[in-house]
Amino acid sequence: MAAEVVTTPPQMAFYVAMTSYVVASVLHLSSLAQVPDWVGRSARWAVIVAFVAHGVDIGWRGVEHVHPATSVREALGFLSWILIGAYLVLSRRKGLSVLGAFVAPLALVVLATARLSPSGDAVTGLSSLGRLHIASATVGVAVFCLATVVSVIYLMQERNLKSKNFDGILFRSSASLETLDRLSARLVAIGFPIFTISMMLGGVWVAQREQGFGRIEYPIAGVTWLAFAALMLGRSMRGLQGRRAALLTLLGFGAAMLVLALYFLRRSVGI
Amino acid sequence: MPSELFVVGTSWRSAPVSVREKLAFHDEELESHLKSLVAHEFIEEAVILSTCNRVEIYGCTSKTAPASAVAHAAAETRAFISQSRGYPAEKLSEVLFEHLEEDAIRHIFRVASALDSMVVGESQILGQLKSAFGASSNYQSLGPVLGRCMERAFSVAKRVRTETGISRGAANVSSVAVELAKRVFGELDGKSVLVVGAGKMSALAARHLRADGAALIRVTNRSPEKAIRLAEEIDGIACTWEDLEIELSKADVIITSTGAREPVLTKKIMKKAMKRRRYKPSFLMDIAVPRDVESAVGKLEGVYLFDMDDLERLVSENLKERSREADAASSLIEGEVRQFHQWMRQQHVVPTIRSLRSHFHEVAAAEVEKAMRNLEKASTEHERQEALQRLGKGIANKLLHAPTTVLKQASDAETLADSVSQLFSLASEDESEESSKPALNQAGLAEPAGPAKKA
Repeated sequence: MAAEVVTTPPQMAFYVAMTSYVVASVLHLSSLAQVPDWVGRSARWAVIVAFVAHGVDIGWRGVEHVHPATSVREALGFLSWILIGAYLVLSRRKGLSVLGAFVAPLALVVLATARLSPSGDAVTGLSSLGRLHIASATVGVAVFCLATVVSVIYLMQERNLKSKNFDGILFRSSASLETLDRLSARLVAIGFPIFTISMMLGGVWVAQREQGFGRIEYPIAGVTWLAFAALMLGRSMRGLQGRRAALLTLLGFGAAMLVLALYFLRRSVGI
Repeated sequence: MPSELFVVGTSWRSAPVSVREKLAFHDEELESHLKSLVAHEFIEEAVILSTCNRVEIYGCTSKTAPASAVAHAAAETRAFISQSRGYPAEKLSEVLFEHLEEDAIRHIFRVASALDSMVVGESQILGQLKSAFGASSNYQSLGPVLGRCMERAFSVAKRVRTETGISRGAANVSSVAVELAKRVFGELDGKSVLVVGAGKMSALAARHLRADGAALIRVTNRSPEKAIRLAEEIDGIACTWEDLEIELSKADVIITSTGAREPVLTKKIMKKAMKRRRYKPSFLMDIAVPRDVESAVGKLEGVYLFDMDDLERLVSENLKERSREADAASSLIEGEVRQFHQWMRQQHVVPTIRSLRSHFHEVAAAEVEKAMRNLEKASTEHERQEALQRLGKGIANKLLHAPTTVLKQASDAETLADSVSQLFSLASEDESEESSKPALNQAGLAEPAGPAKKA
């Protein structure tokens, strides 16, 4: 006799979220070409459905004590949700709906990675300090992630303008360079204090666990912090902007991703 | 015969500017011309649209005019143009076009939506059409049909603009320059502009930038008098040629249009300027031929350099994009034309429907009055029933009398009979027989057909 498959409400919400993210990604990517306006509008609605379903999924799991701060895996799912939420707020401004073509597929990949990858052993000895560290780092990295997406769009649009590629992707649909640069600066300014607090909490947490600071992730996380600190300082003191600021944002976020990759690598080999 | 629309005119498609300028109507002439147009026997309503690209007269015949009135009205309009413009009729026939009825509606909708414009999707024509509509309203040459057609044309134009990409992207060099500058800066509010050289094109571009919010416009030229003159013309400030390097570092948008044979803005000069402005974006528009800016300048960080070829290439790509959208706009317009034409046809039958209703009501009211009198006199139930029966018969006979007489005497009685059958959903005799058979069978009042009979 075949086993009865029971779909629980959170599972259902997860599937709805994943399907909506797929639909939103396809629609958003096709809206980069010159397509009727309804494609863009439908893409936005698909993102809204995904955001709500994803929120229900997170909420339900939280009720079952699997909340975002219990592990990095859960935190990643939460990160993609924040990313989408921030996108929904920003995309109301002219020329920023183009962010969806990057953010929707990104959220889909991150959520799929977080939920469909093997969970591995649960993190042991996770104190409230550790949870706070994970939660704040997640929010900080999500904001940096959005700043990085904006910077990537900036670099693509700048390339279009420099090479006079009037048919280039984003040329007609993207916001202006100045808007993108200003938005990236604001996002970094929001994410940086959150990330700094997360670093401090992480430092105290590691010290409490008496595991030492010998792991390779720690100096790389320091590079992330330094890159964004340099960016903040450069913008306010030296008038740093445009291409150089975008590249520095990419460097900082790249370092943050390296930290995450190393963490997963270490967990998968059980070190 | 009901009202019909017509269009007589000429446009950039059918006549060169040398002819169009001779046929153009000036604003101050409109009142008298519109009045003389509607004074013609078959013309009830008229609009004169006179722009640099077209001279067109839209008209509508009166609802009492005969069937051939629309062709006569168009001919009268042609004669009117020839006479009022002093242009020989035989020459005029070579450049004039004419659209009648549904084609006229289509033409008006296409003109309003800028599908018939030289630059497809341009916005000026709608304003010009609204002015023409306003003038006709003021001079009372508009009525319920053409007036409604024009109003419908405005909303069709709005639909075309919002639902298709027909007006996406700028369509001339100056507007394209502004569009590109907006891709760098977003809004141009508060941006400073430097005009290098005092050419006409740079003045035009500067005006476009000013209209889009650019705050401060400085003008510099080797000859200071020309710089002062241009600065006054565009409400800017003239500055000396010697300050060029400093001014370059201050300006967000730079337009160059000097007559110099060699590049005026070299990589070395711009590098210094960019360093001074800390690589804040600088939008450079070189509209001079030969070019004023070394092409290497475009490679500098923060510099976005476009020359005349780039601007013209973007114009042509925008126009291609608009042409692609024109197909979608055309099918949208077709739907609207059908709808409006249907409305016009409905208007044709409305008076008949109104008279028919009023006639039926009058007949019924007279018969009811008679029946009331009879009912008052009636003393028995039988008499009352008879009065009511007489009422029904009276109404039916009165209503049927006139059509029956006409039907019997008409030469095209068959056609009329068909129409009557259609109007009152009457079944033909054959159909009646066919349909009555099963009814009888079901009721058991007739012999069953076929096998039952044989048995």
